[in-house]
Amino acid sequence: MKRNRKSGLISGQMSSQRKNMTLLAVISLALGAAIVSQAGLLAEAVQRVFVERASFSSVIVLLGLLLVVMVVRTLLSYGNGKIGLRMAAAAKTNMRAAVLQNLTHATMPSTLRGQTGGKVSIALDAVDEADSYFSQYMPRMMEAAMIPILILVVTFILHANTGFIMLFTAPFIPLFMILVGLKTKNKSEEKYAQLAEFSGTFLDSLQGLVTLKIFGRAHRQQQEIERSSLGYRDATMGILKIAFTNTFMLESIVMLSIGIVALELAIQLLVFKSMTFHTAFFVLLLVPEFYSLLKNTGTAFHSGRTSMGAVRKVEGMLQETTGESRDTNGNEGAGTSDGIKSEIFHPDDLSRLPSIELDNLRFRYAPDSFELETGRISLGPGEHIAIVGKSGSGKTTLLHLIAGLLKPASGTVLVNGIPLSQYDETAWFQQVSYITQHPYIFAGTLADNIAIGAGGNITRAEIERAAEEAGLAALTAQLEHGLDTIVGEGGRGLSGGEKQRLALARAFLKRPLLILFDEPTVGLDLHTERVLQRSIAKLAKTATMITVAHRLYTIQQADKILFMDNGVLVDSGRHNELLERLPQYAEMVDVQRKGGLSS
Amino acid sequence: MNGLAVLSKAMFQERKDIILSILGGFIAGIAGVALFSASGYMISQTVFAPPLYTLILLTSMVKLLGLLRAASRYGERLYSHQATFSMLSRLRTSFFAKLIPLTPGILNKNRSGDLLARIVGDVESLQNYFLRVAYPPIMVVMVFLATVLFTSAISFWIAVLFILGMLVTAFVVPGIVLLGQRKINGRVREQRALLSTEVTEVLYGFRDLKVYGQLAQREGQLQQASAVLAAEQQRAAGHLLRGQSMHALVTFLISWGVLALGAYLIMDGALAGVFLAMLIMASLTVFEEAAAMATLPAYKEDSEHAAKRLTETVQSTEVLSPQRGGVLPVDHAISIELSGVTFQYEGEWRPALRDISLHISPGSKTAIVGASGSGKSTIIELLLKLRAPTAGDIRLSGLSVNELDETSIWQAANVVLQQSHFFRGTIRDNLLLDGEEHSDDQLSEVLTKVQLPDKSLTDMVYEKGENLSDGEKQRLALARAMLRKGRLWLLDEPTSSLDYVTEQHVLKQLYAQAAKDTLILICHRLAGLEEMDRIVVIDQGKVVETGSYWELMEQKGYFYEMKNIERQMIGEVAHI
Repeated sequence: MKRNRKSGLISGQMSSQRKNMTLLAVISLALGAAIVSQAGLLAEAVQRVFVERASFSSVIVLLGLLLVVMVVRTLLSYGNGKIGLRMAAAAKTNMRAAVLQNLTHATMPSTLRGQTGGKVSIALDAVDEADSYFSQYMPRMMEAAMIPILILVVTFILHANTGFIMLFTAPFIPLFMILVGLKTKNKSEEKYAQLAEFSGTFLDSLQGLVTLKIFGRAHRQQQEIERSSLGYRDATMGILKIAFTNTFMLESIVMLSIGIVALELAIQLLVFKSMTFHTAFFVLLLVPEFYSLLKNTGTAFHSGRTSMGAVRKVEGMLQETTGESRDTNGNEGAGTSDGIKSEIFHPDDLSRLPSIELDNLRFRYAPDSFELETGRISLGPGEHIAIVGKSGSGKTTLLHLIAGLLKPASGTVLVNGIPLSQYDETAWFQQVSYITQHPYIFAGTLADNIAIGAGGNITRAEIERAAEEAGLAALTAQLEHGLDTIVGEGGRGLSGGEKQRLALARAFLKRPLLILFDEPTVGLDLHTERVLQRSIAKLAKTATMITVAHRLYTIQQADKILFMDNGVLVDSGRHNELLERLPQYAEMVDVQRKGGLSS
Repeated sequence: MNGLAVLSKAMFQERKDIILSILGGFIAGIAGVALFSASGYMISQTVFAPPLYTLILLTSMVKLLGLLRAASRYGERLYSHQATFSMLSRLRTSFFAKLIPLTPGILNKNRSGDLLARIVGDVESLQNYFLRVAYPPIMVVMVFLATVLFTSAISFWIAVLFILGMLVTAFVVPGIVLLGQRKINGRVREQRALLSTEVTEVLYGFRDLKVYGQLAQREGQLQQASAVLAAEQQRAAGHLLRGQSMHALVTFLISWGVLALGAYLIMDGALAGVFLAMLIMASLTVFEEAAAMATLPAYKEDSEHAAKRLTETVQSTEVLSPQRGGVLPVDHAISIELSGVTFQYEGEWRPALRDISLHISPGSKTAIVGASGSGKSTIIELLLKLRAPTAGDIRLSGLSVNELDETSIWQAANVVLQQSHFFRGTIRDNLLLDGEEHSDDQLSEVLTKVQLPDKSLTDMVYEKGENLSDGEKQRLALARAMLRKGRLWLLDEPTSSLDYVTEQHVLKQLYAQAAKDTLILICHRLAGLEEMDRIVVIDQGKVVETGSYWELMEQKGYFYEMKNIERQMIGEVAHI
């Protein structure tokens, strides 16, 4: 995993696009030649027509040549643009591929850290913003590196004085460009908070419109929007004024330079008579090309910098998770990383109800968060385990560790006496069902959504039976297309209870050996509650089940209760045992009951 | 009203800045053309060995023109940006005004966040319309016409050539580019939305997908969608690039035409040779002014798309019945009567409420309970006339809601919505939303009542109340409602994030204040409902049970079972 210190991503992309870069350089050189030839031919034509008063037919060849050069010039810059686009497309695809791979291969901690919106934005917006680095900045920079020098050389050959004027004034352009950038950047950072405040008001007001209406303040808020928009205008104009002033200076320099060149040419022509009209006009045509190229460079530089910012965001995200994914690879791979050849265990090893041992697991999400500690505990095959604790005590984290969704920092999860990390991941997950409070419903038919629970070779009848067992029959009967109804994004909305039942149907289809169950806390309808209790009991007959429990009923029935407090697995045992020996546990169960019964 | 019409109105209102920027741009353009023409002319003049002072005069003119050009460019930039931002402000206010009567009607249940963010984004892309779409052609035409006017004094045919060039660059080339643009951009947008949805789905469903072993397959799908998107984007950019190249070629061709035509005319004796270099310089420069035309199609498509979407949003639910003048009297408690009320959200496949009939007598306290998604909150939205029932009738104090002015209902009601909104400002600002006068003592007293004695009235609240915990937000929202003088309390899970003890304290204060008023409390926690006059149990949009707490417990029906389940709950359900 070699990574350059500075913008490894871009240099990586660049090295893979060396061919395109060479092509860019060649075309830029040819483009420079075309620009110079165009000016030369124009000057020559005017010289012949105007000074030498040649006949029209004698310039026809010249005109034809000029036309060809103009078309070639257009084609060349089109070609450069095309290459830029090709590079951008390839770079974006590669970068996005890396981001997507990173997202899909991420370990649980990085996905749990949330910020889904931010990640989607990196995969889409940041990668798209990187576009202009390849499609604009690179071709322009290549052109800027070749053509002005070419023009300068030609000018020096034609008329050294002009060359000196250009050489002297040219550095001011990038200098001012950088100044503009720096100054506006400082200023805008200074005003950033103010700008954010102003620009947020509109969205803020739209989001609060219902509240505003009810409190009769909607129309007053309209004035507030106007005030803040105008405030935004004034703050932004303050920044822009600096930028515009600098551009003004810059353009003045360019204009004055061209003026000086013209004056110098005129004096040479008239006073010293040391120059032909042809040369003078040639130079006069070349000079604006020179400056406008430099100016374009400035604009390209600006967009290049914005792109770089976006690329850095992508890099930041990739780097953040590199360590984790390497860790995962090391654990999942066939032991190549540590040189020990270990066997991968296959589904046959998982054909019986699993016993699970937690051997001093330790885990922590971030240096500043609490550390999870389990000590040593074993869970027998077919046992029903309840994990109990206050919210934030690490119950779900423990469940993830047992499932193999998280890798412990130290310690091992042993399944049937073999470390979980030595099992083939796919084979392991084939035996596991994880029923969460918010099951994932993807866009597709109800049947597809249920079938995701099992591998291939599922008959329609099996799906129907699973749906029935999970209490979905009443729902499908209501639907015009039954199990073929499209649900999820763009499809029919399902209620929380229906989603929960769908998750159960998946488990019924899969018939796993291990069920991990995050018991729903609130807001289920009675029907789903009943289905849930009945179905879970049925599923659990043929499986080892571990539940993050929120219902007294569940923990009373459990073979073993794991009590978590602030990340630490404090104690385990049956309900009555814990009630007796663990005051915190007794308090938790008791207080809850009081609250429920209340006054 | 059409989105672009709103825009034109805003543009008209900013006419002063617009005229100034056009003037600046025009002078800059003309000065540029004059500058280069003059230098071309000057060089040609040297062939005739004129006296030195004419040359000095000419070069000084060139320099002056250069400064003039830079200065008027400055003015152009300043005024055009000023105008753009002022227009943004006008666009925002006028769209906000249009959205006031439409909210929450246009807010679909699931995607309201997206819609609002989209409106903000669309309004912002509309602001580009002036600077990037309307402005460049005006500039091109004006500068070209001035140039044409000048050249026509020298040669009629060259002037004709310029006019031809202007027509092609300002209209023909952008027209050709626009032709293919819409379709390609539509595809890019579609593909981008698809990828965005799929990435979001994978992130949300990560755990399930991993357990189901679907991640690899999903990644394949994502990679493919990403490749398709890049290809479509490349096509779209390629299309624009072709337009730009076409534009460049046309400018070259016109300069070439000026040269060829000029040469011919000179041979013919119709044109003095000394003007040739000048005309060529002019033709090369005048097209520089047209450079903005090359990016016009992209912006045009963008802002028109935005305008179209805004128009659709604003028009989508304009079937709202006009407000009647009925006023809800507040001198006594309000009775509520729902008869056969059904409501279905647009785009949902089943009604949120089905045939609800309820009578709530004045001064009574009613709790509405049920699973999440059973339709409880919809009842409050209907009572507040924020949405209109699909069928059935709602009466407040005997008056049909249809006949009542919505603001009179809002004035009569003390409302806490499930998601109360808070604005950037102080606690005091947020409490005094309704603009009524309250002394600081009163405000502090209310804060104490809702168990927020530590909050000072001058404490800052950030946007959307980001710096407040859920519990604090709920208590502030309650305080806000308690400062009002309505006789109807509509409370949608006002204490769901409070612990049991605090909840009971706050509700006690609230019940004391609302003793003689009608009160509707929506809750999904079933504790503390013994004091309510009546409990209405809703499941899947239907009323399944009503009665007092003891009656319902006696019946051993739906409520009784819900209560039993709640008793079973342990752990994080209620942090005591």
